[in-house]
Amino acid sequence: MEKQLHENICEERLFSSIFNKYAKDLHNFLYYKYGDLLNPKDKVQEAFIKLWENCAKVSPEKAKSFVFTTANNLMLNEAAHQKVVLKHQQTKPKMHTNENPEFIMQETEYMDKLQKALSNLTDAQREAFMMNRVEGKRFKEIAEILDISTKAVEKRIYGALEKLRKDIKEL
Amino acid sequence: MMDRETLISKWLNNELNDQELEAFKMLEDYDDLVKLSDGVQAFKADDYNTSAELERVLKTIKTTKKQPSNWVKPWMRVAAILAICFSIYFYTTTIDTKVTTEFAQKTTIELPDNSSVNLNAKSLLAFNKNSWKNEREVTLEGEAFFKVAKGSSFQVITKSGTIKVYGTQFNVKQRDTYFEVICYEGLVGVTFNSQETKLKPGDSFLIIDGKQIAKEKENSATPSWLNNESTFKSLPYKEVIAEFERQYHVTFKLQNIDANQLFTGSFAHNNLEVALKAITLPLHVTYSKTNGTITLKRE
Repeated sequence: MEKQLHENICEERLFSSIFNKYAKDLHNFLYYKYGDLLNPKDKVQEAFIKLWENCAKVSPEKAKSFVFTTANNLMLNEAAHQKVVLKHQQTKPKMHTNENPEFIMQETEYMDKLQKALSNLTDAQREAFMMNRVEGKRFKEIAEILDISTKAVEKRIYGALEKLRKDIKEL
Repeated sequence: MMDRETLISKWLNNELNDQELEAFKMLEDYDDLVKLSDGVQAFKADDYNTSAELERVLKTIKTTKKQPSNWVKPWMRVAAILAICFSIYFYTTTIDTKVTTEFAQKTTIELPDNSSVNLNAKSLLAFNKNSWKNEREVTLEGEAFFKVAKGSSFQVITKSGTIKVYGTQFNVKQRDTYFEVICYEGLVGVTFNSQETKLKPGDSFLIIDGKQIAKEKENSATPSWLNNESTFKSLPYKEVIAEFERQYHVTFKLQNIDANQLFTGSFAHNNLEVALKAITLPLHVTYSKTNGTITLKRE
């Protein structure tokens, strides 16, 4: 407890270390949950500026949940919730060499289906699934970020996977 | 054999051992799962350059003013409340007691130390009850007679000069350019133009239009106005008129009369007709009244 009195986020060094620790996760969390239309990078900026403004009131242990909650609220404030369509990265490396036009067409079709299926997921399913599959995070890490149990994370990701497969088949 | 869901979950969490991996590969939808997993890689979030973003945040923070730390605010509140309390206290304790008299009105004021002041018509006396113990000080505009109890120094401040005494009786008259102090008992020091003049009983100090005028000894024990009579000894006629106006609340118009000629005499405060005769007959002047205006004329 004594140490806590001296550890103040108002100190630039501690503030920077908190930023380095959580900013990327926060950005990815916002990105997968809300897409890039509402500018997740700026929301991260705003949330950390708010943290600085309240640096005397927020203890270092509460900093993570402070910025996550703040950024999430900033997102919710900005616009009525609309369907999130994740952006297809054009820089995808080619995985097959012997591509004929038909195969390319099938691939494009598959990606379109996948994109639609992803937007059909709930926010909770999508953020957990993408953090796991794309960012390579373990269930436990995701549970820490989202402040939920590992079991709940597993359920969300598995649910997302099943839903995606069902949607892709039907589309 | 593990069921399908457990295998997939283990695969998702990247914790399949070799044996389990083989079993996973045997699943009929293995290819679909891998394809899906590969496919979603294309929807990876934009790159996030943590150090560049941190720099951006720090830059914004530094351009906005640094927040005062949290102990300042409550203290500011306490300080503000104290300041308000102090100013109320200061205001209520330093506010002066003021006594004023109107035309034809006289009053007697008891000061906190039993000194008494008789205030003549159209005058103002102000003093502070709370600081009275430390300094006996009154401000006067007009005319007043003081009976000062013995004690520390007692000061009367007027526009024309300051009178300082220790325990005495004296009269102060300060009207426009007229300033007169008469000492009836004890010793009075009059400071006029930063020069002090000491007055013994019966002495008077008179300034008219900035010039000091010598006067003969005063024989009476109190000023005549306390007995409802104004007395003048060789004083400009305009001073007599001015005092008359204050006592009867009238306005004079002078026609063909030299206002600076000297007048010796007196008038009573309780009978206008008699008083008018008293100030006109000696100078062979006639008077006529219309409403509150009296016209004096020399034939």
